[in-house]
Amino acid sequence: MYSLIPHIVNGLTLGLLFALIALGFTLIVGVMEVINLAHGAFFALGAYFALATIGGSWFAGTEFGVWWSSLSPGARYASGLIFGPLCAAGAGMILELCLRPTYGKAPLYGLLLTFGAALVIEELIRLVWGTGEQSLSVPQAINGAFLMGGLIFSKYKFYAAAFSILAIFLVWLFLEKTPYGAIIKAGSHDSEMVRALGFDLGKLRLAVFAFGAALAGLAGVIMAPIWGLRPHIGIDVVIPAFLIIVVGGVGSFWGAVAAAMLVGLAVGITGAYAAAWSMLSMYILLILVVGFRARGLFGRKSALEN
Amino acid sequence: MISLSDIPARGGSPFTPPMIVFLLALATAPFWLEAVGLYSYLGIEITIWILYAMGFNLLFGYAGLHSFGHGAYLGVGAYAFGLFQHHVGVSLWGGLLAAVLAATIAGAAVALFVAHRRGIYFALLTIAFGQVFWFCAIKLRWLTGGEDGLLGIPRPDLVVGPLRVSLQENTSLHWFSAAILGLAMLGLWRLVNAPFGRVLQAIRQNEMRARFAGYDVWRIKWLVFTLSASVAGLAGGLFAMAQESAYPDVMSLHQSGLIVMMILVGGGLVSFWGPVLGVLVYFIARDIIGGITETWLLWFGLMFVVMVMVRPEGAAGLAHVVRARFARAPVKTPVSAPAERSA
Amino acid sequence: MSNKKFSRRGLLTGATAAVGGVAAFAGPWKHNRAYAQASDKPIRIGITSDASGQYANSGASDRRGMLMAIDEANAKGGVLGRKIEFQHLDTETTAATGSRVAERLITREECGFLVGAVSSGVANAISQVAQRYGVIYLNTNSSSPTESGQNCHRVKFVWDGNGTNFAKAAVKNSIDAYGKKWMLLTNDYGWGHDTAAATKKLLDQYGGEVVEEILVPQGTRDFSAALLKIQQANPDVVAAAVGGDDQVAMRQQVAQLGMGSKPAWINNQQDWPDVYGLPVDNLFGVFGTTWYYGLDLPGVKEFVERYQAAYPDTAMRVPGNVFYNGYMATRELLAAIERADSTNNIAVIKQLEGHKMSAESRMQHHDAWIDPDTHQVQQTVYLATANTEMGDNKDDMFKVLTQSAPEEVRDEGAAAACKLESYDETPSFDA
Repeated sequence: MYSLIPHIVNGLTLGLLFALIALGFTLIVGVMEVINLAHGAFFALGAYFALATIGGSWFAGTEFGVWWSSLSPGARYASGLIFGPLCAAGAGMILELCLRPTYGKAPLYGLLLTFGAALVIEELIRLVWGTGEQSLSVPQAINGAFLMGGLIFSKYKFYAAAFSILAIFLVWLFLEKTPYGAIIKAGSHDSEMVRALGFDLGKLRLAVFAFGAALAGLAGVIMAPIWGLRPHIGIDVVIPAFLIIVVGGVGSFWGAVAAAMLVGLAVGITGAYAAAWSMLSMYILLILVVGFRARGLFGRKSALEN
Repeated sequence: MISLSDIPARGGSPFTPPMIVFLLALATAPFWLEAVGLYSYLGIEITIWILYAMGFNLLFGYAGLHSFGHGAYLGVGAYAFGLFQHHVGVSLWGGLLAAVLAATIAGAAVALFVAHRRGIYFALLTIAFGQVFWFCAIKLRWLTGGEDGLLGIPRPDLVVGPLRVSLQENTSLHWFSAAILGLAMLGLWRLVNAPFGRVLQAIRQNEMRARFAGYDVWRIKWLVFTLSASVAGLAGGLFAMAQESAYPDVMSLHQSGLIVMMILVGGGLVSFWGPVLGVLVYFIARDIIGGITETWLLWFGLMFVVMVMVRPEGAAGLAHVVRARFARAPVKTPVSAPAERSA
Repeated sequence: MSNKKFSRRGLLTGATAAVGGVAAFAGPWKHNRAYAQASDKPIRIGITSDASGQYANSGASDRRGMLMAIDEANAKGGVLGRKIEFQHLDTETTAATGSRVAERLITREECGFLVGAVSSGVANAISQVAQRYGVIYLNTNSSSPTESGQNCHRVKFVWDGNGTNFAKAAVKNSIDAYGKKWMLLTNDYGWGHDTAAATKKLLDQYGGEVVEEILVPQGTRDFSAALLKIQQANPDVVAAAVGGDDQVAMRQQVAQLGMGSKPAWINNQQDWPDVYGLPVDNLFGVFGTTWYYGLDLPGVKEFVERYQAAYPDTAMRVPGNVFYNGYMATRELLAAIERADSTNNIAVIKQLEGHKMSAESRMQHHDAWIDPDTHQVQQTVYLATANTEMGDNKDDMFKVLTQSAPEEVRDEGAAAACKLESYDETPSFDA
């Protein structure tokens, strides 16, 4: 039983990172009623843009580039942590603009468009950064391993978990305590009413998409050192995200977090017994939950049920 | 926007002129394929995929049930065919029967779960089941050969009475597949013009109303899902023969998504011929653009995105509009059917 | 394509003549089929290497080796007076794509020879298709033991050492040096499994014990679960059969956790593209290779200089085993065509079978030859480890520990498992 602890820790860390991804996803679903299959692509974009920022490849060879590489790895990493999600947010806004012709039509079209967008973004990544494996370098302070209770743990995973908790808390704070958050929550309940109250729905949608994409991009920057960085990591992420919000219930904040932890634990623990099948466990989980509780654990009726 | 119900079905006739043209083109393909810069294996792939896509469109376009995990049944069919050849006996009809049977059982089992749902939940569950099949195909190495696939699947001879025809040559296999496709196409055409086809469309437009009208909606959804899987299984068996192997790739989410894209691009949502156009566009683009650049999927993806934004009725819809304009007939005014808008 | 009465050429020339007018207007993808007499016809080689997926880096290196050999041959006036052309299609590290690509290269691009593979899954798919048409296929870099065993074909020739060869070189020495308690970390596909099987057999033979085998799927990036298990079981040695990008990730995570020195790591074969440029800490353990640019043998320096002159812009400043295998295979194919004085596939196959290559021409320590029963090149196998005293030359990453003669590391089981198709069963044609 004691030997299960590292796997549980692994699982919890994974769960927290999934929660970050799922939150962005559920915000978009809640307000836009669009299933954003390109969410994984934003995840990847965040990581790749962070890579470009840290490495300074955009401006290599220029004076700025020389100054940039003289900065400490910590400073460069921090800016990667900021710019990665920012660029992902930009991509999110572009996608939202492309989605406008499909509003008012069946959800299928939005789904299909985001699927196509995911493909396009992945191919663009392949074009710009190549198809090979890249690695995101992290500062020494959070890298490496440490010993605790006779078992080796990775420092970085703890940092990632801590950062995710912080990020989730900040998102919650934003949604619950700020007026903007209130507008977003209202929009996810009833977008018509929000428009009737005089808020610009177009701007709201743009903002939500940007926010959701930024969250995904942030998750990407954090996960890249754990999961590696290659063009199709987006796909590996979007289905779990989709799964998680369905299991947790569409539109529910804590549902997404709880479901994400559940999924992470499932993957982590099966990793101890049957590592090869661990990713399958989340699909089994989905089938079980949706089979018994059609709306997921905390779900409310939503427009998705058409 | 036009829909499948708008285009008048020539209910009475089992053949239509487009069908005859298409079958003729298919039959003569081995003769002109290479002259236009294509090759015989591609012809077989296209034929098999058209079969797959048409069966899938029964579910996706006509019934409006958006499954994103249909590749699983193509894969199951392929593996079943291969396993039959390896473990039971080398037989063409036996193998194809095994392929259809296996895919039908798989589809029927999954349909039991998903027939209750619709919309996004339906889609997600189909994805989940598709992933389960894909995982199993990769993990159960002793059965499926894992990621390396099931190799060494022979192409059994076609035996009809005293006649024995070898299918080793790509040309003969092409004709055999084309014959199967032709028969399937006739069958599907009859089906969508029969009352069953109309019920499917009713379910697509408004499931609740169809239920109130007295139809056993659950059973019909289950049936169409299973049927669609059977056709996919048949295509899978043919594909195993063409490749002489079976791989798990077709079961992946990526490839299941590709068939959806093909359906949309071709206009399967609005036309019986949509899947055919979609498959043709995809494969020819892959081969021709793929020969020029390695980023051909980027261009295909961009085209797809633009199409969803601008003309979701796809190529068939476009053709309809163009034809109507030429005929100077009043174009059917695009009154959005209520089901196209979210309630 | 197998009917001896109609040659492929005959059928195509007829069809071309019949639809010549249409073909002229068929568009930019039209393929020019108007050939002159046989002696002017170029020799077409189809290059089936991965440009994407897990083995993209190795695939690129493989390709460069083949291209350098082709360029050198063309510079000497071609082979049998005919120019050598090539056509490359990406096999995407996917078996299904390999199958399709092979069909296209053979039927549409009219390639008489196919060269290239890193993934054994892809190699198998390609060789199945090649065998059906009788097209000679050179498996340059895929090292699953079954390539020359149960998956051998009359048209296929394997140029890399396989998992058994490397295991034989490493296992006995490692049991003696490190201990008997072993764990296996295996990539969950053909090459991984077959290599692990070979290792297990050798462990049985030399008294080692397999505590557990951990399977990791292709495309695994997070090795933490596997590494935790290894840490908890605490074996003496870990034998890893993990390739491509997966291996890069594994090395990074093992180094991060500081697990590189205990337990001892045996990495079967190490492809140069997967480690080039990595920090030396990541290059833990003992691993095998068929060639290294730092070997102190005649001809090596000039070979490296030719590489640098041909490819001044690549990230890899010196070539490795993958490039080497690609080059050697192509060079020997062209030489075999010269010796056969024809491009008839059966004649060329017969020239390749049993062919001996001197140590000097191969820049290895021992002579090599192509085994006629399994079609695998029997060659020198080197064991190496990280060069911790590399100084300023960051490219000099390997320290070669031992070199074994081909007879010492021979795959005994292969000949029994391999059933080559007969010459009659293999379609014959002139490329």
